[in-house]
Amino acid sequence: MKLANFIERFKLWIILGSILFSLAIGVAMKDASVDSNLKNFIPKELPSRINTDRMEEIFGASDPVMILLKSDDVLNRETLLRIKRITKSLNRKEEVSKMASLFTSKDIKGIDGAMVVDPAVKKIPRNDEQKEALRNTLKNNTLAYGMIVSENFKYTGIVVTPAKGINDQQLTAVVEAALEEFPGEEEVLYGGVPYIRKFIEQDINKDFGMLMPIALIIMLFFLYFSFREKRGVLLPFSVVILSIIIAMGLIPLIGWKVTMLSVLAPIMMIAIANNYGIHYIARYQELNAKHPNMSMSDIVKNTISHLKAPTLMAGLTTVVGILGLLSHIMKPARQLGVVAALGVVFALLLSMFFIPAFLFYLKKGKPVASFSEDKKSFLSSVLNAIADMVVKAPKAILIITAIVALVAGMGIFKIKVDSDSANMFPADHPVKISTNVINEEFGGSLNINIMVEGDIKDPVIMKAMDKVEQELDGFKGVGDVFSIASALKEMSKAINEPGDAFYNKIPDTREAIAQYLELYSMNGDPEDFEQMVNFDYTQAIVNVRVSDASQETTKAIVAKVNEITEGFKFDNSVGGYLLMQYDLARFIVQGQTNSLIFAVLAIAIMIGIIFRSFWAAFIGSIPLLMADLLLFGTMGYAGIKLDTSTAMLSSIMIGIGVDYTIHFMHRYRHQLSTGHTPAESVKITLNSTGRGIVLNAFSVMIGFCVLFISAFLSLKLFGFLIIFSILSCLLSAIIIIPALAIVFKPKFFNKI
Amino acid sequence: MKNLLILTGLLLGVMVINAQSSLTAKQIAEKAKDISEVDALEMVSTLTIIDAKGRERVRKTSSASKKFGEQTKTLMKFLAPADVKGTGMLIYDNEESNDDMWIYMPALRKTRRIVSSDKSKSFMGSEFANSDMSIPSMSDFNYTLGKNQVIDGQECYEVISTPVNEDIADENGSAKRITYISVDKFLTLKQLVYDLDEDLWKEMTYSGYYLIDTVNKKYMAKKMEVKNVQNDRRSIMTMDKVQLGSSLTESHFTTSYLEK
Repeated sequence: MKLANFIERFKLWIILGSILFSLAIGVAMKDASVDSNLKNFIPKELPSRINTDRMEEIFGASDPVMILLKSDDVLNRETLLRIKRITKSLNRKEEVSKMASLFTSKDIKGIDGAMVVDPAVKKIPRNDEQKEALRNTLKNNTLAYGMIVSENFKYTGIVVTPAKGINDQQLTAVVEAALEEFPGEEEVLYGGVPYIRKFIEQDINKDFGMLMPIALIIMLFFLYFSFREKRGVLLPFSVVILSIIIAMGLIPLIGWKVTMLSVLAPIMMIAIANNYGIHYIARYQELNAKHPNMSMSDIVKNTISHLKAPTLMAGLTTVVGILGLLSHIMKPARQLGVVAALGVVFALLLSMFFIPAFLFYLKKGKPVASFSEDKKSFLSSVLNAIADMVVKAPKAILIITAIVALVAGMGIFKIKVDSDSANMFPADHPVKISTNVINEEFGGSLNINIMVEGDIKDPVIMKAMDKVEQELDGFKGVGDVFSIASALKEMSKAINEPGDAFYNKIPDTREAIAQYLELYSMNGDPEDFEQMVNFDYTQAIVNVRVSDASQETTKAIVAKVNEITEGFKFDNSVGGYLLMQYDLARFIVQGQTNSLIFAVLAIAIMIGIIFRSFWAAFIGSIPLLMADLLLFGTMGYAGIKLDTSTAMLSSIMIGIGVDYTIHFMHRYRHQLSTGHTPAESVKITLNSTGRGIVLNAFSVMIGFCVLFISAFLSLKLFGFLIIFSILSCLLSAIIIIPALAIVFKPKFFNKI
Repeated sequence: MKNLLILTGLLLGVMVINAQSSLTAKQIAEKAKDISEVDALEMVSTLTIIDAKGRERVRKTSSASKKFGEQTKTLMKFLAPADVKGTGMLIYDNEESNDDMWIYMPALRKTRRIVSSDKSKSFMGSEFANSDMSIPSMSDFNYTLGKNQVIDGQECYEVISTPVNEDIADENGSAKRITYISVDKFLTLKQLVYDLDEDLWKEMTYSGYYLIDTVNKKYMAKKMEVKNVQNDRRSIMTMDKVQLGSSLTESHFTTSYLEK
């Protein structure tokens, strides 16, 4: 009674303290800022990240906007005029550092023994004849064909690189203004990293604005239908609200930024934070209905002492499960782990102190009808049926369980990993559409870059870069390969006649290479090669554009790149977004495995300590293992890939799902100790605690339901999968555990 | 590409004439132009291209140019760096039509013609544009006079030239150019070049003027420097050795001589 007396005595302080504390932390929310840069999911220590950062430092960040214009034939006079005007207008904007379009891309060619460097489209054709001539010219221009104009001439791109210090909002505003200033019939698609970031930021804000209110409203209804009493709705609800404030305030307070994964923090709070409060209200209602003579103070005190142990257990196992996220390599996942764990700790404290403190102030309410014995609810008849089934055929249940586990387990081998950030968006999302077009028509939206270092004009290095291009060109998934070596070969074609020894070839001497480049500098822009080779020709990049960013294809390409570069006798390094994503995906699997093992072990140990038995630990982890098998098996069979969001599933699911097992085992042991047979104990447990377990599980599932309307495809999938696995945890707890208890009659249940 | 003309045009000073306060902007510019041309010149020069991080590319050339009728012909050979040594260029600078230009690449033993029409294009990969290196046709621009300024301790006219139409502006890549011409000797000391949006683009300075032709009283700058304020790149051209006149005959200014 010590705790109960303490709470009664300091009830005012507890209430005021809780509110003031959460508001004090919540104030920090005003400093919250969104980080939409997916690169920050990738650890800074990753070799591919280090290489990529270094390349970006040397060759400039390559985050341009890509405007795609679609028309039946982009060589139409109107379309070309529009592109020309947009190019010219954007080129003059101070927000823009560089432009690429049909009017800026180069066409290196030889005419009557002269090398001519012209824009890819020098003059807009006036008639069909000129148009077809231009089409032929473009088809022979490797710098433009399939790079800036699609091979079917239905799409053409305008690439806009931002000036230093210009953010995504400023750049996209300038771009969109230019397209409005010069309207046309063409369909316009926007793509590129600035747009992906912009959409992510928009979607994060949209998710916060939409999901939270809807989830809260659903939760209000759920609480009302569960308890039909004002306090039963408002008390658990205020715990949810205060926990959300704490969790969201902690993000900026610790100095972190809001990411796509942060969307999960308030949703997790809505789903989890009221779990403990629900039991307090249920217990109070139960006592209120069954013992009309008890005073409110006694009811609350009894509730406190009865629930403190299981609440603490359930809360701590949840926290431990969520802390499994700390073993993830992705910083935002670890941050979510910390924020959500602290939020749950706070929700736990609120449920144990704030709710009873508040109840002490209230008068007894009207007893709630659903506790009267004669009224059988739908839920209790279902629970009864389950209890009958378990008692009648426990062995059959275990055999079926084993078969299901086996079948699901085989599905795990089919599971695939996906790190392609474009797949976070649904198929009809503008980012997804433009990414698909870039993949299909323009060689690919993701890059692997190979940086070589040394004397770039040395034919050995230049030929090595050419070799990379030759071997990767046409390789599955590779859209385009480009480097200064291909520009040099274009020059050799312009200067030499076909059949000449020098034609379409990297020259054998350093002098010849230098003289080609000198010749080019008489004619082209000094900045033409800036993105391929540095100023003093000591570092150069081979850019590999990939149109199929799937894990298998990337793996093959990476292996090929490593095979080629292994023989290089000069410094080289491999980087690029695709490689970073590929590495990240490997670590996602690693992180998933680590956090799974950590969570299951930690929770098994906790159950073992609570029941003082190794077998308790083993049996208690069976529902978790079963839920994991079902989860990953289903993902394998259904083709749902592991990605940045779904990788966090098992940590969150295990932490929440273990509660049902603990509640069942706790009550079952109690019933055995009062002299009931295992079969009787199962029936009694399912009919009493079973109701609380099911309500608890459904409140969690309903909380996560709202993710179905998230703007992110991967969060939608996350919502589906977490609900599916909570359901598996629930069914395992109320079907498999009782069956095991009846068949094996473990001794630890008899110890008290 | 009008290499030598550039040099004769911009680097040579102007005859000392008593400054007349009544001169119009166009007259001042015209004087600077008219008296800056020499018939023949040979020299060794160094072009240093420096990027924003201070890294350098150096090109050393020797050249000769001579006027034949209305055509100025220039012959040029690279002396350094080693990998382009021996590369030769031949340029016919035509008054009314596009220049003719050939390059000889010793490593390939080949001469190739280069077609060039864009005056805003870079000169040998430097921040100098072809238009910076040649004397513009007077009729392409309007000239106005600003307030006199003191540049390097010398009083200068401020001559503002703007293209007469947009095509010429596009061709030169510039909407405005301000030239500071010294009042006493008509030497061009500084030029500010503005881009098509009239934002400052390049700052060019000329220094080390000396009297190269004592008979005709012509001056030449030993050094010209351009700074592109938009990308922080710089290029410096120094005239290491200059000799007035040239012993070469018209037959030397041909592609066959280029390959020798």
